Amino acid sequence: MRIAAGVDVGSTQTKAVLLADNGGRKVLARKLTDTGANVQKAAERAFDLCCEEAGIKTADVGFVVGTGYGRYKISFGNAQMTEISCHARGASFLCPGTRTVIDMGGQDSKAISVGPSGEVLDFVMNDKCAAGTGRFLANAAEVIGIGLDEIGPLALEAKRPVKIATVCTVFVEADILSYLANGKKPADILGGVHLAIAKRTLSLARRVNIEPEITMTGGVARNAGMVHALEEVLGAKMNVTPDAHFMGAVGAALFALEKMDDSFEMGWTKDYASHRGN
Amino acid sequence: MAEKSEYRGNIHQRQKQLMLDWYGKLEQAASGDEPKTCSLMVSGNCVELLEAFGIVPIYPEVNALQLAIRHQSLDPILAAEEMGYAADNCAYVKADIGCLLKGITPTGTRLPEKPTLVLCNFVGCNTYLKWFEHVAKFTGAPLYVIDVPFLRTAEPSKEDVAYVVKQLHELVALLEKLTGRKFDPDRFRHAVACSARSEELWSRIKHLAKVTPSPFDAYFDAITLMGPLYVYRATQEGVDFFTDALAELEAKRSAGEGVYERERFRLVMEGPPPYPYFRTFRDMFAKWQATAVASTYSTVGGLWEFGFRHDPAEPFESVAMHMIAQNVTNRNMLQRYDQMQRYLEEWKADGVIIHFVKSCRLFSAGQGDMRDYFSKQLGVPTLYIESDLEDPRYFAEAQTRTRIDAFFEALEHSKAHPQPRPTVAKGTQLCVLPQA
Repeated sequence: MRIAAGVDVGSTQTKAVLLADNGGRKVLARKLTDTGANVQKAAERAFDLCCEEAGIKTADVGFVVGTGYGRYKISFGNAQMTEISCHARGASFLCPGTRTVIDMGGQDSKAISVGPSGEVLDFVMNDKCAAGTGRFLANAAEVIGIGLDEIGPLALEAKRPVKIATVCTVFVEADILSYLANGKKPADILGGVHLAIAKRTLSLARRVNIEPEITMTGGVARNAGMVHALEEVLGAKMNVTPDAHFMGAVGAALFALEKMDDSFEMGWTKDYASHRGN
Repeated sequence: MAEKSEYRGNIHQRQKQLMLDWYGKLEQAASGDEPKTCSLMVSGNCVELLEAFGIVPIYPEVNALQLAIRHQSLDPILAAEEMGYAADNCAYVKADIGCLLKGITPTGTRLPEKPTLVLCNFVGCNTYLKWFEHVAKFTGAPLYVIDVPFLRTAEPSKEDVAYVVKQLHELVALLEKLTGRKFDPDRFRHAVACSARSEELWSRIKHLAKVTPSPFDAYFDAITLMGPLYVYRATQEGVDFFTDALAELEAKRSAGEGVYERERFRLVMEGPPPYPYFRTFRDMFAKWQATAVASTYSTVGGLWEFGFRHDPAEPFESVAMHMIAQNVTNRNMLQRYDQMQRYLEEWKADGVIIHFVKSCRLFSAGQGDMRDYFSKQLGVPTLYIESDLEDPRYFAEAQTRTRIDAFFEALEHSKAHPQPRPTVAKGTQLCVLPQA
């Protein structure tokens, strides 16, 4: 049995996945930690916890691919790939009909047009602005004074979602405070917040061709309110798997397995190894 | 070992020396009455006419980019903002105005405090009109504005050319007055003939990038050659420089030498580079051994690779034609599409990189649609990235690196497994309007 790992060091959280190939490929373990200030440590911790859960030694892992913003900082990584390639690959593996990926993470959101074998055809990302990302939702939760896990379910209870004019992560606080002061219900405010982000994400996704099936990935996929709002503006259902949050790491682990199989297509890996840390 | 990303030949040393000599002349002008100087814009510049009077050009844009490439642009930008220039204002303008306010120069050598003339050769950019008005105000120099009609049709009308020629004659009269020198038509024709020769050599250099591997990078290396092109084009020094540059690059081509040992990708670049992070940005492409084989930015000062030349038989008319129709900034967006498409086909490029400049709405507006056109209609792998040409605050290194790496990861896959990319039918409305 060959085992490979994918480690996705995101801006907020670090995800690690172990993938085993024993004729068929399956996820052996998955772990999540906060990234924090020490990116290298976070990557090591997530990876070690994964190995522990799977009951294997780290040396049993044949190849590690790092992804996410901290991908260059993974000291034990054998190669790196961007999260764009990894999300596309992971989504295509877990939901084979995927043609569009909408990824909403802690500090960025992206739309990826995906080919039949999980290859990236086109992609767009948010630029220089955290609107439409997990950070926007986290700020909204903080202003209202509830936990991040609670805002999605509460948003689903919205009867008359308010209009959120700004998409600025900082200025939205003032909007929310003024709605609260005017006696609006938190559920309606959050309904408005989710809808505002969904609309912004839709305009981003339209820059690539939105084709079914659409798969949502990234940490925000755990937020049922966001999934609902996105499906409403898209006018379509999305694939949301329990591993949505780990999709980048799953994709990275798949690339790692392929490297072990010597079927790794990305010929840049060898050259790239010399650029690590750049 | 990082991939060698830069060609460092004799031409780079020569270029450096030429530009230092130019700054030397400007320093000389700062200390006395000679040589006469004139501030003007790079785009569609009429340097031939200045050369006829022995006037040395000052390019505020070149000063601004020199500052940025030396990581010195933020201080003057902040000085201009402190004075009231808006955050969204063109960062070239702010850097230049900030320099005037603080007495900063990019090379440390002095620049004339009051040029003989501030000449706004108003080409394509309406912000420049205000910029040059401000430069004239701050320096106390006289201002002359040449109103150059924007090119909305394939070719300019006879009336448009006549309109610009009339203004050039007015400019001649003004320069005679300001310099106390009589206009010498023979000297002007000679300058135009030198330009025609420099342009021919420059055009041949650009066509060298059609071979695989390309002997030079038509974006990053071209920028090195652009200084002499704008300052020295109309002089024998310019002709000599481009003669040697062509010979040097032809020798590279004959030896089969590319920018990289192995050229893996060929690109068309659109938009100016992020000068404050020029090296970092270049290395992001070097990592993938990706060569720019053509760029629109290198045609800002003039579009010569498709055949246009200044003409000593019709010096005024050809200067007017250059100003109206033969530089990328005064041409319309669809002409820019055509230009890039020709590059893709004739220079055999794999994809397009669009660099959106946050503080230049004029050059960058419409690039979102441009991305859609190339990506969706033509099926060409196209990457759109945002930062700025002058303001370091807009450059997010990690974000930019991720986009560029992802683009090449996908391009590598599509080159290894060529398949027709999904494209939309011609005539399809690409710009999807937002829902009400």
